[in-house]
Amino acid sequence: MKYWWKILGVLILLYTFFMGLLTPLKTGISEASPLSLHAGRSETVTVVGYNSFFTKEKEKLRAWLKLPNGKALAAKRIDVVDDRVAKLTFDIPSFLPVDTKVKDFTLLIDSPVDGASVLPGGIAVTQDTVNLALGDALWPNAEISQLHEKEAITFPFRNILGETIRNTYYHVPLWMSMFIILTGGMVFSVIYLMKNDADADRKAMALSNVGLLLGILGIITGAIWARYTWGKFWSWDVKQNMTAIALLIYGAYFVLRASFEDPEKKARVGAVFNIFAYASLVPLLYIIPKLTDSLHPGAGGNIAFGSQDLDSTMRMVFYPAIIGWALIGLWVAEIILRTARLKDRLMEV
Amino acid sequence: MNILVQIMHLLRKEITLEWRQKYALSGILLYVLSTVFIVYISFQNIGPQVWNVLFWVIMLFASVNAVMKSFVQESGYRQLYYFQLLHPIAILLSKMIYNSLLLLLLGGLTFVALAFIAGNPVQDAGIFALTLFLGSTGFSITFTFVSAIAAKADNSSTLMAILSFPVVIPILLLLVNLSAHSIGILGSTDIGDKTMLLGAVDLILVSMGLVLFPFLWRD
Repeated sequence: MKYWWKILGVLILLYTFFMGLLTPLKTGISEASPLSLHAGRSETVTVVGYNSFFTKEKEKLRAWLKLPNGKALAAKRIDVVDDRVAKLTFDIPSFLPVDTKVKDFTLLIDSPVDGASVLPGGIAVTQDTVNLALGDALWPNAEISQLHEKEAITFPFRNILGETIRNTYYHVPLWMSMFIILTGGMVFSVIYLMKNDADADRKAMALSNVGLLLGILGIITGAIWARYTWGKFWSWDVKQNMTAIALLIYGAYFVLRASFEDPEKKARVGAVFNIFAYASLVPLLYIIPKLTDSLHPGAGGNIAFGSQDLDSTMRMVFYPAIIGWALIGLWVAEIILRTARLKDRLMEV
Repeated sequence: MNILVQIMHLLRKEITLEWRQKYALSGILLYVLSTVFIVYISFQNIGPQVWNVLFWVIMLFASVNAVMKSFVQESGYRQLYYFQLLHPIAILLSKMIYNSLLLLLLGGLTFVALAFIAGNPVQDAGIFALTLFLGSTGFSITFTFVSAIAAKADNSSTLMAILSFPVVIPILLLLVNLSAHSIGILGSTDIGDKTMLLGAVDLILVSMGLVLFPFLWRD
């Protein structure tokens, strides 16, 4: 089996397409209104669920308003309108166990069918006067226990991200496989400079070509993701700008190669610039975006995406996707390499 | 002859050569002056933020023009002569040092011209001088190495811009940022960090240049 890795690449990508696109999301809370409540009143919040089945076992539905330290207030009454919509009524005491006038509470809903879903810090409660002692005394401290887990293979639900969380299997692996492929290209350029082997240069050229292609795909998937989470395809974010510049550098590599007639000179100068370009890629993509304000996760003081949101089901698709894209990239590079070899042989004849 | 002595000799040669044929130097100086003048005529009223950006854009283009000739101007015979006589690292380093001195002079002149015509918004002269120093070194390192690459091809002036501008953008961004601190339009919170980063980027580029130049050099 000489071509096992090509078959493997295709199979892995098919698996990521099926798993990544067909697996449903966990139940979540996509909307709640009003978002601002007042202490000392009985307030009703209308909640719109996502992928939820409120009508099944609606007697066992429970809901809380929760503080970060775990102190919670249970809903007094829950009226289920339909599968998506429920009305939660809370009797809020006149004083809150916090030392500020306005405090953000997390809304938590638990159902035996859907499992637990949260709206983190989404509900603001205002009190007229701050009285910590009275607030502690009045607060019921409802116990949150026996939360259910949805028993199915699902991806996490995140507000704002919603269904676009699936782009984690395309945008991010495309970037990572681009890095793997470009690193390979750089290594072959080094080998060329050390051994003067024309085939090493062809390999470097083919790999850089595919790296550029993966980079363009990565920036396009990123722009589409940005359209639905940041609001615009291109918002002149530092990460987007630096990425565009990195692609310009690799574009320059091909212009440079095209401007030489002599194949030996083309290979040598190309290899030198390829290594130089790779070295300037690291400050562009990883150092500069960390310093300035950015919307992108992992840049501008934002935490990276994987640390909080990548759960074990997502990892099952995410890691294979990196390998799959890298293998497909290698396949394309191999075809480019073989074409280049044939062209060079044609020149010799 | 060790490398340091070679560098000193080469530096002296560069400076004497520049002094003997003054047209190149005066050409660049005139270039800066006329650019500043054109900018002033088009803008009339230049605020601190615009001043800052204009200064570095003028510096960028003047630097490309000033540095471009460093490898392109050397004839093939002289290259052959150097090749037998000198260590490639000495050649690259001497050009880089010479070009940073030239760019420092250029930067000083641009500053004087811009300050004379559009006013001087710089509040912290120390930081500005440091930025200018780091900037001329960074520009000189990048452009010198890229001009060594571009000199190998035929249409070197186009290649020079295509190859060097993307590489120099991170440096330019940090420079604009740092000098914005010295002008007082950005709060001075992490000047040390940015200076270190700029130094680190310069260091990466110069070490890449030193490793790669010997391969580029032999023909």
